[in-house]
Amino acid sequence: MLQLLVGQTLNGVIVGTLYGIIALGVTLTFGITGIVNFALGEFMMIGAYVTWYLFDIVGLPYPVAILPAVAIAAGCGFVADQLLFRFTRNNLINGLLVSIGLISIVEAGALLLWTTTPKDMGYVLSGAVRLGGVSVPKMKLVVFALLAAVMFLTYVALSRTWIGRAAYAFSQNPEAAMLMGVKTEILQSGVVVYSTALAGFGGALYASLYSLEPAMGGLYILKGIEAAILGGIGSLIGSLAGGIILGVTEAVGSIYLPSAFRDAYGLIFVVAILLYQPSGLFGGER
Amino acid sequence: MRRFIWLVILALTASPAAAQNVVKIGQIEAQTGANAIYGYMSSQGLALAVDQVNKAGGFQVGGKTYTIELIASDTRGDPKEASIQLKRLLETDGVKFVFGPFLSNVFVTIEPYAKQFNGKFLLMGGATRIHDFLGTPDHDFLLRSWNWDAGPKGFGNLMVDRLVKETGAKKIAMLFQNDQGGKVLVDIYTPLFKQKGIDAQLELFEPGTKDFSAVLAKLAAANPDFLFPSYSDAHLYDIVRQATEGNYFRKFFLVRGSLGPGLKNKGEIDDYFVYVPKYFEEAEKTDPKVAKFVADYKTFYKRDFPYDQAPLCSSSCYDHLFMLIEAMKKAGSVDDVTKIRKELLSMTYDGLWKIRFDERGEEIFNFDIVRMKRAGQISVTSVDAQ
Repeated sequence: MLQLLVGQTLNGVIVGTLYGIIALGVTLTFGITGIVNFALGEFMMIGAYVTWYLFDIVGLPYPVAILPAVAIAAGCGFVADQLLFRFTRNNLINGLLVSIGLISIVEAGALLLWTTTPKDMGYVLSGAVRLGGVSVPKMKLVVFALLAAVMFLTYVALSRTWIGRAAYAFSQNPEAAMLMGVKTEILQSGVVVYSTALAGFGGALYASLYSLEPAMGGLYILKGIEAAILGGIGSLIGSLAGGIILGVTEAVGSIYLPSAFRDAYGLIFVVAILLYQPSGLFGGER
Repeated sequence: MRRFIWLVILALTASPAAAQNVVKIGQIEAQTGANAIYGYMSSQGLALAVDQVNKAGGFQVGGKTYTIELIASDTRGDPKEASIQLKRLLETDGVKFVFGPFLSNVFVTIEPYAKQFNGKFLLMGGATRIHDFLGTPDHDFLLRSWNWDAGPKGFGNLMVDRLVKETGAKKIAMLFQNDQGGKVLVDIYTPLFKQKGIDAQLELFEPGTKDFSAVLAKLAAANPDFLFPSYSDAHLYDIVRQATEGNYFRKFFLVRGSLGPGLKNKGEIDDYFVYVPKYFEEAEKTDPKVAKFVADYKTFYKRDFPYDQAPLCSSSCYDHLFMLIEAMKKAGSVDDVTKIRKELLSMTYDGLWKIRFDERGEEIFNFDIVRMKRAGQISVTSVDAQ
């Protein structure tokens, strides 16, 4: 039983980082543009499908396939920002409506291009690492390492570079940041594009683990938002922690309780935490 | 201009006469979607059969030559979509013969509406839940176009029997989707395993699940001999991969789904026991009808033959159109559904499969059981269910 618990805690941590990367995008976008971008899951889907296409159909090596996938997701993010999100800055309701509309458009496009029949990408790295009685697939470890590295680098960039400090300054006091020379339009667009690139990267890694469907984005954005709320909107560490807590709760909950209600276990945890700390676990920390 | 108007009038007056010699066949199957494996091949095979019939000049009934108009809709596995499509077929298009559905969740949704048209049309679908309604009042419109799992001649019964005899399995883990399709399998197989002395444990999962590691680990902790996973390839690819990679299961027992997930992970699998209505890879070499079908498919669709999905052409597909035409010829009518149904129930059709219906309207056909062992070593057992 201990092996089972340890194994599933590890698995929950890894799955949770995938939730965490979406949560990071949610929290960054909300902090800088004042909207919750529900369409981030769609950019994850775009990243996943482009990776599948380039790896399985075109035959590019996986690391090479990831780069254009992230670039295309970011490019789509830029187009969406210039055509739509630019007009909804700091308007939560409008931003929400636009992002929900965008989900329908992107999903319909994916249906036309790839149909709803799932795509199962060829294996990038098969096999598992076995330690004692615990077994973890090698690819999951690689995905975890890459996601954790990207999140760490994002944290470093935000806390150690001029742009990062400008972003923090803007999220705290936009007027003061503008007066100090921060180019707000470019900053806001940059954050939207970076968030979609993060989602695209998450999608590219997702494709190496699971089969793909056009509706996959809807599931992951919900998990991402749950994780962001759990960790505390605005907190980068909170995004990762929220994702991991959600992943572990689902994995460990499925061991002791019926797995048919696995999604509910994470939600119960979110409700319990919010009752105790309404701003989330790391709410208020930046 | 006057000439043009005359041509239009001529065309308009000629159309109804031509329409009289057309038999409309409707189809409601999931051609795309997570469960498309159950409708994709039926839609492909039926379109091919319609093309062949029409290219051959149609067929003769009562001295008249008829061609076929196929109205095939993609339900995407969505019951609401299927309901709208069936309503359009029956009320707008005036279709009297509907092929599909294969999905039980779709069937249970359309059934209350469809039974209002009892005696006015025939519905030939593979959905497992159709079994419960066969032979009941107001359901003469139903024909189930797939073998039944349970009962003395049921393929599931036979497979469980073989599982016990060949592997000595005593414990099995069932992992099904928490929906109509999953629940119907629980209803059928829980008593079957009990009868054969197999201890069965069950876990259900939500349809959107992608990571099965936790539930697989939980099931594996009880040390079952085999995993009996889901019913759709959409989940099977993820389940089989995660089960083998995580070292949770290396032995699988399947009564739905294809050999594909097993073949993709063959290096990691010890035993993959699967019901395959026809193992086309082998049948193509020995049966000229199968070889012709494969060649015709490639010519018609100009692409490779889908060997993994082709076995599901056993339901409401290629053979069934030719069988229906034979029944129409014998009944001497293309629209008397009562007579045509009677002829269908009394005949045996020898096509890709040898098909007949029992007295309740449930199909019985010969099938294969494929067993894949370590490194993809495959053995096929053909079963004559007649």
